[in-house]
Amino acid sequence: MKLRKVTALLLAGAMVMASLAGCAGQGGAGTASTGDAATTSDAGAATTTTDASSGDAAASGDKMVFEIYDAAANYQGMQTGWFQKVVNDRFNVDLNIIAPQVAGDAIYQTRASSGNLGDIVLLDSTDFADCVKSGLVKDISADLGNYPNLMKFKEQIDVYNQGLEGNAGEIYGIPTEMMDTSPSSYSQDVIYSSPLLRWDLYSELGCPDIADLDGLLDVLDQMMQAHPTNDAGDPAYPFSLWADWDGGDGMLGIANVVQLTTWYGEKLRGSMILKPDGTFTPLTDKTASYYKILKFLNNAYRRGLVDPDSGTQDWNSACAKMGAGQVYLMWYSWQVGFWNSQERLENGTAFIFIPVQDQNYYCDADAYFGSGRVFGVGSQVDDAKYQKIMEFLDWYASPEGATFEHTGIKDFNYTVNDDGTYTAINTNALMDNLPVPEEYGGGGYNDGNNAINQWIVSSNSTNPETGETYNKEYWKSWKEATSTQMKKDWQARFNAEEPVDWMKKNNKLVISPNVSVSLDSDTADIAVIRNQCNEIVCDYSWKMIFVNDDASFDAMWDEMTASLEGNGFKDLCDFDQTKHQKELDAKNKYK
Amino acid sequence: MNKRKARGYREFLLILPFIILVAIFSYYPLYGWVYAFFDYKPPFPLTKETFVGLKWFSYMVDNDIKRKQLGQVLLNTFAVSGLSMLFSWFPMIFAVFLNEIKCKPYRKFVQTATTLPNFISWVLVYSIAYCVFNTTGVVNTVMTDLGIISKPIAFLNSSEHIWFKMWLWLTWKNAGWAAIMYIAAISGIDEELYEAARVDGANRIQLIFHITLPSILPTYFVLLFLNIANFLSNGMEQFFVFQNPFNRQTIEVLDLYVYNLAMGSGGYSLSTAIGILKSVVSIILLCVTNGISKMTRGEGFI
Repeated sequence: MKLRKVTALLLAGAMVMASLAGCAGQGGAGTASTGDAATTSDAGAATTTTDASSGDAAASGDKMVFEIYDAAANYQGMQTGWFQKVVNDRFNVDLNIIAPQVAGDAIYQTRASSGNLGDIVLLDSTDFADCVKSGLVKDISADLGNYPNLMKFKEQIDVYNQGLEGNAGEIYGIPTEMMDTSPSSYSQDVIYSSPLLRWDLYSELGCPDIADLDGLLDVLDQMMQAHPTNDAGDPAYPFSLWADWDGGDGMLGIANVVQLTTWYGEKLRGSMILKPDGTFTPLTDKTASYYKILKFLNNAYRRGLVDPDSGTQDWNSACAKMGAGQVYLMWYSWQVGFWNSQERLENGTAFIFIPVQDQNYYCDADAYFGSGRVFGVGSQVDDAKYQKIMEFLDWYASPEGATFEHTGIKDFNYTVNDDGTYTAINTNALMDNLPVPEEYGGGGYNDGNNAINQWIVSSNSTNPETGETYNKEYWKSWKEATSTQMKKDWQARFNAEEPVDWMKKNNKLVISPNVSVSLDSDTADIAVIRNQCNEIVCDYSWKMIFVNDDASFDAMWDEMTASLEGNGFKDLCDFDQTKHQKELDAKNKYK
Repeated sequence: MNKRKARGYREFLLILPFIILVAIFSYYPLYGWVYAFFDYKPPFPLTKETFVGLKWFSYMVDNDIKRKQLGQVLLNTFAVSGLSMLFSWFPMIFAVFLNEIKCKPYRKFVQTATTLPNFISWVLVYSIAYCVFNTTGVVNTVMTDLGIISKPIAFLNSSEHIWFKMWLWLTWKNAGWAAIMYIAAISGIDEELYEAARVDGANRIQLIFHITLPSILPTYFVLLFLNIANFLSNGMEQFFVFQNPFNRQTIEVLDLYVYNLAMGSGGYSLSTAIGILKSVVSIILLCVTNGISKMTRGEGFI
């Protein structure tokens, strides 16, 4: 009898324990910093509750783990491979990346409510400002002066932090991707978004002048008639659109349309379109570029130039088609990376910018004050860890750190020339995930690449050790190596060295100065309205691309406008206008 | 007396773990309902947010267009649930027919083949659907090759008959699984009944109509009533994977609507408010159907 009672009690106790284990699991994670990487990666995967590892960062000889809450990362878990070795050799530290892009945005809410977002946080600037307000980020003003590499960006850091609401000289955040040029210059060869066509198909048509969007459609139509399939015989279309990026980057509407609005010097800011003359107009304005581009895509559909899977396929399917040569128009500067290879550049089948005469290209200036995301230190770290984090961030901003981030490993990714400049080798390391020699950490190059995926120093900044940029594409040695017949033909045809040279020469470039302004985050009401309006705009836009006549296109546009009104679009516009006016005022100072 | 008390104490201890589990996992989460009464926005804790009372409840219906939208969502929900209710006899008939197959290996095969899809996740079901029905998929390729169509048809883009199509997918996935209950009920029927009927000269159809069906009808009703109580919850996975801009208007059921609202950009308070309403309506529906059950069958099911 007694035994059974005891057993019952024990069982009851055990079950209660088991049921609570889900909540208490992280209690054990604190021990992780003794160096057992496997344990920490488990703890990192759970990530729903407070991590206790800040409590026992013992003597500085012990290995530490930095938890990095990283809005830029595409990878979640422990940093591995060669970059892990680089960090480990210098700091005896492991990096545990927590990636909301992988784990879902809900992780932001759960971690924030636990009071500890991470040891290092990397956030979009509006979120960062919120986190400063709710006490999740540490004030680093007392110690920043000890770190020379960070102090190089003192001006930018000060400007950013002064912009935080109610700031009295404290320093919380370090902006990312800062450049050493000026806030209103543009020093790259290509811009983020411009019409990119296959050079072989274009020159086959005799390199015609393209006057406007209709002219562009004519050219694409001829290309498609001449080559209805790719080499493998699969159907090819000039346009293959995808739907899963819609509403991203704080811009309402279909991502594909939004990106093309920049061809006419306009840029979406939330629900408002910023025009080249420095005024705002709502997205629903029929004279503005969102309508124009949507109409352009609809015209393309009516001429049979749009892949019928557009709208239901995701980026991965679209990307596979790009890689297979089933797409004849691209617009993102990085998008060509899925097709252009050294071989294709040499035989002239690569994508390159082809100007459309009536266009006026928008681009963001060099990110002098940073690109929008901000690094900070979590408010819960203890002194020993804080010290180490600051040392790490300082190294991260140093020429040595930046070289590892942007250029790679010496003698694996580049060799040093006699004059101190670099020559790139193994240039397909990232694309083909080349194996890294054991002495540098082993593993695949891409697998071991820096998973933080965001830098304090921009790759287009100058490396003081070489006098050239960190980005290999602007090295003298690279330019010599990649000068192809196709590029020479292009230069002869358009009488310019590079796409941006052509734009500058012909006065077709609208540079939007880089400023550091802390923007208001959405209130609870606006967040709901924005989400609903975005859904409405996207749903109607997709339907509009696939209608067969002007009348139903316009009828649907009006229906969309009415539906938006009912969901508080007016409030959203007012909010966005006020929010971005601050930014605009700052930009206008450079005019 | 003392002995009984001790026994009661012991039995209480036995059930205690379950009480604690229910309290933690079923009742404690209800605390989350407070979010519906605040302007909640991460990363700020609730203590820093403003209390707004019933604002989010009235927000749903404060103008015509929103009422129309919510109406459309409810219509979708009712249509999808209504269709599956209307065809709820299907698994039962399927089970009856399955039971009539005399060749045992074949019967086992059919049962396994129809049960398996239940274990495939909706995400995979959609990838199958995508491969079969996209514009370069099997169906379009075959139809183009046979010369039936000249241009591929974008099946997945169409919103026509979407509720029915969704029911077809659901049935394909669930019919075998749902039939298991009925098969169990059928195997519980006393064999003597059949023998007696056969002696009386009943044929196969008569056996089904006069013995099998009446015997499993109570099971059917219990399942039906449970379904009615779940009328508003069609789950969201199926609709989430099949939704696209072209069919969203007619496919967005309540659960998906709540998900799209909350996860899109953090409309946590509003979606909590909708969730509360849904729970309340579900409880009312459950009580009503239980009442109907009591009236018609003389017994409730809860």
